[in-house]
Amino acid sequence: MNTKSIQLHELMLSRGTFFCYSGPLSEEVLTSISAVVKEQLTDSKSDIAIKTKVFGIFIEQAQNIIRYSGSRVDKSGVGSVSISHTDSGFMLESVNEIISSDQQRIEEILGQLKGMDSDQLKAAYKERIKNGPPAGSTGAGLGFIEVARRSSSFDYAFEEHHGVRLFLYRGWVDTQ
Amino acid sequence: MIIPAASRTPEVAFSAQTCSFKGECYPEDISEFSAPIMEKLGSDVTAADSYQVDIELYYFNSSSAKFLFDLFEFLDLCAADNKQIGVTWRYRADDDTMQDAGDEFSEDLENLLFTMEKID
Repeated sequence: MNTKSIQLHELMLSRGTFFCYSGPLSEEVLTSISAVVKEQLTDSKSDIAIKTKVFGIFIEQAQNIIRYSGSRVDKSGVGSVSISHTDSGFMLESVNEIISSDQQRIEEILGQLKGMDSDQLKAAYKERIKNGPPAGSTGAGLGFIEVARRSSSFDYAFEEHHGVRLFLYRGWVDTQ
Repeated sequence: MIIPAASRTPEVAFSAQTCSFKGECYPEDISEFSAPIMEKLGSDVTAADSYQVDIELYYFNSSSAKFLFDLFEFLDLCAADNKQIGVTWRYRADDDTMQDAGDEFSEDLENLLFTMEKID
């Protein structure tokens, strides 16, 4: 039993993960954990601009899980969010189940965003905020654009694991 | 009238011809937060010939960005209708995200007076 506890502890340390929540995520839970994250970021030595970007990406990732996770418990979306130190700054990561029919929509949006420079992202943001989601899509989009803009870089992947489709979403905030 | 700040919403204060926001904005339910504010602004701004909105936000999420956009669009329409409408956007000196956000909102506003104010 101690082995697993030590494994968890060492895994977190090796990844530089100083915050992790895994389980049912609701707005009420987010209220509590965001207070913790804010406190941790207040303690860190980074400047205001960096901390706001990190916090912003964290909130968008968490709200994605709340709203769109394919695994649900009552009104909560189930998933994991974590924040880690990296050599160049911070990494924020979320993992959650998605229903397979959502994969195409997410891939389309994120694939497009990945190829955009900051001017194009700004234009996409303005278009979305003014005109809302394009016909046929549902909500999400502004949050993805927000993450793309606040992060120094972002990445995503879909993995089939134990019969479920997982959506992995990472954003990096570099302090230089 | 003052709506006190909560853990995820800013303080919102109204007088007859002013409204101010101060704090962070990432509400659990954006409609629950914004509906009473838009209702009050709707009646107060319509009744006034001039109106000032001060905004000092340290963080806002994407749902709140949409609310702010709708708010500015409403105010800009009122300004087009011969009302003197001013918005002051306050941002901390080293917060480029908030500074850029204010600049971006102001780019698409044609009638109201949008002022950027740096705070220490």
